[in-house]
Amino acid sequence: MEKRDYHYLGKDFPRKDGFARVTGKEVYPSDVALNGMFFGKILRSPHPHAKIKSIDTSEAEKMGAVCITYRDVPDKYFNVRLVSVPRSTYMDWQILSNKVRQVGEPFAAVAAETEELAQRAAESVKVEWEILPSYLNTEDAMNATENLIHDHVYLEDEKIEIKNNIACMRELTEGDVTAGFKEADVIVENEFVTPRVYHCQLEPRSSVCKPEPDGGVTVWPSTQALHNTRILIGELFDIPLNKVNVVRVTGGGHFGSGIHTNRVILINVALALKAGTPVKIIPDREGDIYEHCRYPVRYTLKVGAKKDGTLVAGEMKALVDIGSHHIQAFAFLGVLVGWWHSLYRCKNLKYKGIAVYTNKAPSCAMQGYGAPQVTFGVETTMSMLAEKLGMDYLEFRLKNYVGLGETFWGQGPTVRSTIRSDGVEELITRGAELIGWNNRQPPEKKTGRYRRGIGMARGFHTSGTGAPVPGEVKDYTTAMVKINEDGSVDVLTSLMDQGGGTLDAAAKLVAEELGVPFDKVGISPADTRSTGYDVCTHATRGVYCGGGAVLEVARKAKEVLLEYASRILEAPVHALKTRPDLEREQGEVYVDGMEEKSITIAEVAQTAMNNDWGTAIFAKSHRMIACPPAFTTFFVEVEVDTETGRVTIERVVAGSDAGVVINPSLARGQIHGGFYRGAGMALLEDTHYDEKTGRLTNLGLLTDYKMLGPEDLPDEEHFQTFFANTYEPTGPMGAKGIGEAALNPVPAAVASAIQNATGIWFTKLPILPEDIVKALRQKKEGIATFEPEKDKNHTIEREFLKIRSF
Amino acid sequence: MNERQIVLEVNGKEYKLTVKPNELLINVLRERLGLMGTKYGCGVGECGACTVLMDGNPVLSCQMLALSASGSKITTIEGIAQNGRLHPLQEAFLDEGAVQCGFCTPGMILSAKALLDKKPNPTDMEIKEAIRGNICRCTGYINILRAIKTASLKLSERSR
Ligand code: FES
Ligand code: FES
Repeated sequence: MEKRDYHYLGKDFPRKDGFARVTGKEVYPSDVALNGMFFGKILRSPHPHAKIKSIDTSEAEKMGAVCITYRDVPDKYFNVRLVSVPRSTYMDWQILSNKVRQVGEPFAAVAAETEELAQRAAESVKVEWEILPSYLNTEDAMNATENLIHDHVYLEDEKIEIKNNIACMRELTEGDVTAGFKEADVIVENEFVTPRVYHCQLEPRSSVCKPEPDGGVTVWPSTQALHNTRILIGELFDIPLNKVNVVRVTGGGHFGSGIHTNRVILINVALALKAGTPVKIIPDREGDIYEHCRYPVRYTLKVGAKKDGTLVAGEMKALVDIGSHHIQAFAFLGVLVGWWHSLYRCKNLKYKGIAVYTNKAPSCAMQGYGAPQVTFGVETTMSMLAEKLGMDYLEFRLKNYVGLGETFWGQGPTVRSTIRSDGVEELITRGAELIGWNNRQPPEKKTGRYRRGIGMARGFHTSGTGAPVPGEVKDYTTAMVKINEDGSVDVLTSLMDQGGGTLDAAAKLVAEELGVPFDKVGISPADTRSTGYDVCTHATRGVYCGGGAVLEVARKAKEVLLEYASRILEAPVHALKTRPDLEREQGEVYVDGMEEKSITIAEVAQTAMNNDWGTAIFAKSHRMIACPPAFTTFFVEVEVDTETGRVTIERVVAGSDAGVVINPSLARGQIHGGFYRGAGMALLEDTHYDEKTGRLTNLGLLTDYKMLGPEDLPDEEHFQTFFANTYEPTGPMGAKGIGEAALNPVPAAVASAIQNATGIWFTKLPILPEDIVKALRQKKEGIATFEPEKDKNHTIEREFLKIRSF
Repeated sequence: MNERQIVLEVNGKEYKLTVKPNELLINVLRERLGLMGTKYGCGVGECGACTVLMDGNPVLSCQMLALSASGSKITTIEGIAQNGRLHPLQEAFLDEGAVQCGFCTPGMILSAKALLDKKPNPTDMEIKEAIRGNICRCTGYINILRAIKTASLKLSERSR
């Protein structure tokens, strides 16, 4: 298979949902309005760790509000994320509990006819607390032997005792690291720290639930996973799944915070069932900030190389502060080593990861799922090694990267597949040309207050989590394609469009395959009753896995269509072809080589209907047998003000290997957005907690959660994007993903540019102006790596030693 | 609480409404008039998703009492297409890929409209300044800035 001329792939059309979005007609969960709807308010803990001694909701009930506490919800343990198989899914969640494990954790909820009444009712609830000792950092948490955040959790039916607040661990060894390091001519070892970034999706994660007369519920939630949300609701509330209908509504941004079923949705269902009337919950921003964040990772990375640049050994030890609950820490520990190992070839490696509970917001996936964290350290280490060996960064990378024909397992050790398309060399060479890599000057040559620097980093994200053999992550999509009686087409799946254009891509693939004009292909509204299972639109799988399934189904529907057409045209099926006839705004079927013998798809469909042959329709589940890496490379130029430490991004050259690019303009938009969030992570985004009160120091305010603004990114002329000319043989018409790959190398690339300007490698993110000023001062005294502040008593080594005791 | 009568002209249509003194403009628009295009992103004046135009000026409807809007002309995102034709800003946002999740889009377009109505040919700095209060978490702003520039070109061509 190879590239061919496409009618729609690779061309830009206004997105199908765009009209609704620019006219204010798009419906988001917070916009759903129903008759008799109540407003719900969530009561959140003011304490980081406490037990409810007593709770009195009588005042609120007197006001006419419906209240729920831990006594009113099913007493079941579960995990909010159902993407991994049950054997890898630790369960420590309850819908509401009599124990709170972080400030902002929901402990009760009320619903009332008006928002104002709900607010008053919420304020009238009286609680007596028993305060428990709290742990706001991993050190305190791991030192604790009693009053643990969780005493026990469940893994399937197995009850697991928790020790020292350690949620889970994972280890992996390949080859012989000791022998490997002995072979090394140079070794680089550093400790890296990455921030607790808040997703800050613009719509707070909202939900509406309507109890149905048959005992079921209809839910309009903010989620990336319709079916997992349905399954969880059914399980927890004991409702058969055919009575749980979860409706697809556009989310106002997710970035990974909707992979799991946010607890707001479950509280919403509990409230609506008790109220016997629809309930809507829109959390306030402060509440939302306490619900989710990116996994912060602290890790040491030691890598050895030979003189010729061959990598011989690597060792990584990672400590992850997961906050109050386990969302997918076990899988996360697996991908940390996966991202690393799949970036660069190295046969001897050793890894250990530990996830620790603390009394903070639970960490979860956010664009990149650990890849930006790991890529930051790995790319920095590669550049340092190259420097030590006197090799060019690019040459060193081209020698060692995992590419064509090699096995990779970015999504963790159980999801392995072979790389079949590889645009890395093109990305590096072309990017270097565009940024002017050869004219790049070493840091020693830079003088004056304002210093420019050019840096680079590369990375990838997997397109989904498929593999020849199923691993610990589920991955398939169900789709239905139906050719209507006027020749138009309905596509039905429970895929979500996070804004990147997944559903437009699906429609283009169908239009291309069936030979139907693009605007004749419609994406049907979807809910869990009318669609089959799809694991979740996450892991950059929308276009590759989702599109792959949709295309497969379109092919099957086409077979039916051609069979009908062959009866009419009196020609064998294998002689028939389809193409769009743009003048007639119709698809047509014609006999190859006898093009005058043709018929419109509408006529075929009508004839088939009138003759009682049936409809050309097909539905099927489809799993992809690989998860090809979507590679990206970022070259960045910054200017550092050495007096204030301010970093200005002057120029970006971003290259992406997404296979055949389906929506070029939307794909470029993904790169802009990925860069924006990645640069934010590199330069300013983080959340901090007050160690005494356990509250966020930004008090839940966006004004104090600093993000980059429109003035902080380079202008369009200084932000170049380009795509590698590749074709992914396993992908739908050659396509791979792009989404998360657009962020993964960005923090590393920004750090590399800062190093080129200042001569200092920063190993902690975000790289704040004050860090830069301080580091420049230290550098005068001869230090060229600015390390995260180390607490002598609390090193990763010590933490790991401690763990050996049990 | 003593309710009061207000008169609002919303998207060219006059409404007489009885509101409570603490009722917010955003809630009147969304819940009473069903104009859901005005988005709730924070409720505390930090994100710009609830931006509407009041007598041509952008205001945060989550920070404004309905009472104090009485007597004014309000434009929401639902009111800027004319006779079924999209406003050049709406068109440009679509064509330039400035819409991802779309949650910031209504507020963003209205802030840009307020600018272009006063200054059809703004500088890049003026555009950035005008949308400073509107957070977009998806796009990195690049296509948004381009869309606003495209619309400004189209508008100034039209007025020529
Ligand atoms: S909702 Fe009004 S500024 Fe955020
Ligand atoms: S498009 Fe999603 S916030 Fe702007």
